[in-house]
Amino acid sequence: MIERIDLFRMVAQHRTDEVVVMTMTATLQWPLVSDHPLDFDFLAFGMGHASDFALGVALARPERKVIVWKGDGGLLMSLGSLVTMGSYAPPNLLVFLLENRSYEMVGGQLLPPGVDFAGLARAAGIAKVEQYDDLARFGPELPRLLSEPGPHFVVLRVDNHETLPPVSHTDHSQRVRGLRTALGVQSPS
Amino acid sequence: MEGPSAASTLGRLKALGFTHALSIPDSESRQLHAAIENDSDIELIVPTREGESIAIAAGLWTGGAKPIVIIQNTGLMEAGDALRGCGLGPSIPLRLMVGWRGFVGAEARRVPIDSAYTYTEPVLTAWGVPYEIIEGDADLEAIDRMDEMAASSSKPAAVLCARGFGP
Repeated sequence: MIERIDLFRMVAQHRTDEVVVMTMTATLQWPLVSDHPLDFDFLAFGMGHASDFALGVALARPERKVIVWKGDGGLLMSLGSLVTMGSYAPPNLLVFLLENRSYEMVGGQLLPPGVDFAGLARAAGIAKVEQYDDLARFGPELPRLLSEPGPHFVVLRVDNHETLPPVSHTDHSQRVRGLRTALGVQSPS
Repeated sequence: MEGPSAASTLGRLKALGFTHALSIPDSESRQLHAAIENDSDIELIVPTREGESIAIAAGLWTGGAKPIVIIQNTGLMEAGDALRGCGLGPSIPLRLMVGWRGFVGAEARRVPIDSAYTYTEPVLTAWGVPYEIIEGDADLEAIDRMDEMAASSSKPAAVLCARGFGP
């Protein structure tokens, strides 16, 4: 099992100019290791839709890698999005599915047992699906995942033993406009 | 009365600079869906559910594209949380073309009235989404006004398509 904050530290060290879309508990811990204008906190933007939003950004900005930190509970709310991801397959999309088998943000209630998230992604038509439960195995693959054309759907089995910071309640409109500015979007409408 | 022609509607969408159309096929919009699919100027994306359409559109807009979301009223109701979170809350000017399932039956006083017809306008009103109604080609300028309303308010705006599109 991968300790989540160690995973975040490793990815933050390798990340350069990629957009990073995060949701749920990732929004609490990723900012501990990253303060970047291309970080985007999707919390409360729409349940289960973080990777859909990221897919839109990736399609609009094909020159830019878009990373998503998505939870397994959130994925269960929008399984169809795997099919759309497989169909449109933007090569610049990299989804990291944080598999902790629970709704951690709201109390740790367990997910239905036996769901094969990597298998679901493959069956939905996503060609590049990988799975890691050990940081020592994941680490050497990370530079390739950040540079190789995708889309990639990477299942990471994580645990957390750290105390979580409180939720950030920053203005949603400013989050969106901040990301547009960081991306150099000029059009006003 | 015939609904608007898909060709005229597509021409207007192109003139307004839309780059992507997110469309889930339904019986009223299928002609417009086909027209976009057969045209190379606007990229067609076919999500699996309407909430997904809204979230992808929000990402496209954030990335600098100009998407239009084409959904049926039933799908609009399904997409409530996405519209709240990816449109109304963060002030993203989503442009919506909403097929008004049930309008023709209600107009003909067929019973039972489709509840999708009944709740469409109250839902849009409750969410504070401004809308105009399109019944035919003569009403297509409503799309321009919807586009301008979304741009000037930086909030979602809609047109309600009361009748199915013709070719």
